[in-house]
Amino acid sequence: MNLSNNPLLWVTFLPLAGALLVALLPDARRSWIRWTAMAAALATFAASLWLLAGFDPSSGQMQMVIQVPWLRVAGISIDFALGVDGITLLMVLLTAFLVPLAMLSAWSGVRERVKGFMILFLLLETGLIGVFLALDLVLFYIFWEFTLVPMYFLIGLWGYSRRIYAALKFFIFTMFGSLLMLLAIIFMGLQAGTFNYTDLLAQRELFAGAQLWLFFAFALAFAIKVPMFPLHTWLPDAHVEAPTAGSVILAGIMLKMGAYGFLRYNLPLFPEATLRAAPWLAGLAVVGILYGAATAFAQKDAKRLVAYSSVSHLGFVMLGIFALTQQSVAGGVLQMVNHGLSTGALFLVVGMLYERRHTRDMAAYGGIWKVVPVLGALMLAVVLSSAALPGTNGFVGEFTILLGSFGAPALGTPWFAGLATVGVILAAVYLLHLYERLFLGPLTHEENRQMPDLNLREVLILVPILVMVFWIGLYPQPFLDLINPSVETLLQSVLPAAVAMH
Amino acid sequence: MGNGDISPLTAVLPELGLLALAAIILVLDLFWDRKARANLGWVTAGGLLLVAVLSVFMAQPPETPTLIWGGMLRLDGASFVFRMIFLAGAAITALMVSENQRLSAQGEFYALMLVSTLGMSLMASAADLVMLYLAIETTSIPLYILSGFLLRDQKSVEAGLKYLLYGAMTSAVMLYGFSLLYGFTGTTQIYDIAAGFSGQNGLPAVYPAAVIGAMLLVLVGFGFKVSAAPFHFWAPDVYEGAPTAVAGFLSTASKAAGFVVLMRVLSAAFSDQALVWSGVVAALSIGSMVVGNFLALAQKNIKRLLAYSSIAQAGYMLIGVAAAGAGGESLPYTATTYYLLAYLATNLAAFGVVAAVSRLTGSEQIADYRGLNQRAPGLSLALAVAVLSLGGIPPFAGFFGKVVVFASGIQAGLTWLVIIGILNAVVGLYYYLTVLRVVYQRAEEVEGETPLAIPAAWKTAAVLSAAGIVAIGVLFLPWYNLSMQAASSLLTFR
Amino acid sequence: MIPLSWYLMLAAALFAIGLFGVLARRNAVAVLLGIELMLNAVNINLLAFWHRSQQLSAEPHVTGLVFAAIVFAVAAAETAVALALIISVYRRRDTVVVDELDLLRG
Repeated sequence: MNLSNNPLLWVTFLPLAGALLVALLPDARRSWIRWTAMAAALATFAASLWLLAGFDPSSGQMQMVIQVPWLRVAGISIDFALGVDGITLLMVLLTAFLVPLAMLSAWSGVRERVKGFMILFLLLETGLIGVFLALDLVLFYIFWEFTLVPMYFLIGLWGYSRRIYAALKFFIFTMFGSLLMLLAIIFMGLQAGTFNYTDLLAQRELFAGAQLWLFFAFALAFAIKVPMFPLHTWLPDAHVEAPTAGSVILAGIMLKMGAYGFLRYNLPLFPEATLRAAPWLAGLAVVGILYGAATAFAQKDAKRLVAYSSVSHLGFVMLGIFALTQQSVAGGVLQMVNHGLSTGALFLVVGMLYERRHTRDMAAYGGIWKVVPVLGALMLAVVLSSAALPGTNGFVGEFTILLGSFGAPALGTPWFAGLATVGVILAAVYLLHLYERLFLGPLTHEENRQMPDLNLREVLILVPILVMVFWIGLYPQPFLDLINPSVETLLQSVLPAAVAMH
Repeated sequence: MGNGDISPLTAVLPELGLLALAAIILVLDLFWDRKARANLGWVTAGGLLLVAVLSVFMAQPPETPTLIWGGMLRLDGASFVFRMIFLAGAAITALMVSENQRLSAQGEFYALMLVSTLGMSLMASAADLVMLYLAIETTSIPLYILSGFLLRDQKSVEAGLKYLLYGAMTSAVMLYGFSLLYGFTGTTQIYDIAAGFSGQNGLPAVYPAAVIGAMLLVLVGFGFKVSAAPFHFWAPDVYEGAPTAVAGFLSTASKAAGFVVLMRVLSAAFSDQALVWSGVVAALSIGSMVVGNFLALAQKNIKRLLAYSSIAQAGYMLIGVAAAGAGGESLPYTATTYYLLAYLATNLAAFGVVAAVSRLTGSEQIADYRGLNQRAPGLSLALAVAVLSLGGIPPFAGFFGKVVVFASGIQAGLTWLVIIGILNAVVGLYYYLTVLRVVYQRAEEVEGETPLAIPAAWKTAAVLSAAGIVAIGVLFLPWYNLSMQAASSLLTFR
Repeated sequence: MIPLSWYLMLAAALFAIGLFGVLARRNAVAVLLGIELMLNAVNINLLAFWHRSQQLSAEPHVTGLVFAAIVFAVAAAETAVALALIISVYRRRDTVVVDELDLLRG
């Protein structure tokens, strides 16, 4: 096996190499630092496209698997194991796509300690991609924890006024969940004599007796990350205080780590526990959808509103995952991508407004449509995509989820999907409300008259995202083709347990 | 592994080397003038490195554990690995001390430290209660003096006195336990004691309750050395008052010495009472984690914070010892030894930075670390690495230490203890992050101040220990194998 | 012939008195005295046990005697250091009461 030909290694470690390179540059050369970091991020995106080119979409199995023995503890090998399937691939593409854009958004906003910012950002990218690709549970855990450190610093050092409180809360919350997951990982490893994901999957009967506890330990870690109601309280604080680029990554990718974890680990490893927990988790997801929407509507702070909309949107993803039908899970995966694009874009737009007026209070805007028409038009597209207007990506994702979960046998009743539909309507209400308060109506504040419209850099950030928004909205088939075989494989390993139980 | 038979003199090569080095330092101290004496730290560190290298090549332990010097010492993997740990700890400490005007130009300081290291070496290999007591006191008495070394600083003297009073009391209690063990079994040879309890040494068999009583008395002394709750009261005061480098030495090498004795004596002499001591150690572990972590939350002085953190860390390590009693084969001691290795590098880095900052800025208050990053980015990075490792964040050594210790607990069926450990780790993370946050906080008022000038010796110490943190974590295997070698020799009784 | 248990009881009583002194007295010198009492209790133990094992076993051995001698020597060294520190404290602070040594607290 020639490892240097494997795109998995490149896509994981290019950002790390970029970070090391940036570290060697002199502090004062800010533009060198920015361009080197950007080059590393773009190279990573190129590597992810290479990964896509080498990927066989017709198979739902793990591909391009790398497996190298790494550590040995108590006679149990811990491997350096990476692999990719359709779900993973989309997550990696999303990460590699959003990171350069987020970096571009911080081009002029971050003026202090540019070097540290770029190093942390690239380290974060390595961690995120590693989380998605890891096929060994200890390796997965290492990447999982590792992402916390750069994000902690990004929020704590470049954030806004209450950044320290927010960063600490973010770290402690997620750490609490993940340490219990570590306990479960060690337990499973000792029971089965391996930490390798594929091997554990084959021997899941060995720890089937404790699977409710194990499911709970994993679910807690992932549910905090998603975040599911009622574990979401860290999220608004972290989002509001994070710098724009940090919010984009936090919402766009880090939250997906939780949903991805549910899909990759909870479902196949603990199938019976999954079936038992499905109605409860789907219930929490629906509560999250409605609660997030209602709370979003009540916000005065634009960024906080977007943050709560994340709680609501991720509720759809969780509902899709725990409805456990082919369609709903596929919709859930697609919606993960959609949320990364739409909410990422929303945070970018709110960040652009903040750069202009230095406030996130919606009352400080209003009627600026005429002053900044380009920003207004692009934001309208973003808002509509987030509100799941037909023709945009959000519609495809949410519609598939709702359709898939109406008749889902795992849930047993269409009520979950029915209530979630209310959430779609509420989303349209609070998002249009946001748009209206910011852009429509009379121009109430004189100082807004001088607001500059978007510059080329900012347009360049938003346009690629909008291209993807409409691509998925109008022609989602290529994406679903990537997702479906993997979801099928996944569900095949869960559903036989369902049959056994009923 | 090394040669089969080993002469009694090369077997104690590290000890002889330490003794010779101490003598050399004292002689140089007499003949060098004040300026030249500033280099004594480098001489000490270099000498320790030489001793370590010589020992690696000439004093490798024999395949099977061997008793030498009439059964006083035992040469095995554990004694070798731990002696290397002490040498490394002493070398880094010596570097931290040099350039410190109040300490460095005094040969006695280094000589005392070397004698203490000699005591620790003997602790690691002692196989006889008489030798063990002598070794513990050879370690402790120089440490009492080192803690009170700054005679002009009342805090330091007070620390020395408190340390001595606590230490002398707990060692008297432990000694009472030793005397009972001798009486019950008619032997002071640690590896014969277990047989003596059941009457195989020509004396009547002993009531189990009496054995457990003696064991508890002994545990008091060991608990003091590893600073486990409830024998931890000295630690915060002594760490705060003692010279910072000494506090670092106390929290790493001295603690490691306590742990190797704890593991050796419990497994060898009390093998039939394993379940009892497992429970007692688990209780000590919980107490240490809870007391350490929760009291650390309220600290404003960084040395006190590190003191409570070191109590908590002892608690995590004790999980491994408790797991050994509950029947975890060789994984538990491997885990504890690995954790000690990781902790050695980590805490030395932390105390190294604290020593440097307190000498340069004159403050030990956490609040005064604000904006340290702007004035000393290198030191800040070393501190960040150390603090993240203490908090158990990958890819640093502390993370792997926690993983193996928790794994050993789960394997031995002590999942409840591991869960308590995990909850404590979250609390611990809070105050570790608090330190980090202050260091990296933007502080407008320091903008104008000059960057801190850091002497070469301190840089070397910080770089070495920070590199150690990363190396022990990322290059896990060699260190793990080393720990396993130590652990399996602790479990080989004959 | 005095039975072993009497020695042991004497030692235990001495040890208890010493420990009480250490825990209850606040004067550093008194604490030190308490520690000395505890060490003496240990020595009585060691010698009594040595005497008994001498009677029971055929071959003579000196372990207990050696142990006791070492305890003496170490105790003397410890006391020397302790007194030096106590004198240093007394010179500056005019007190040897442990409770009044309160520069270190947090």
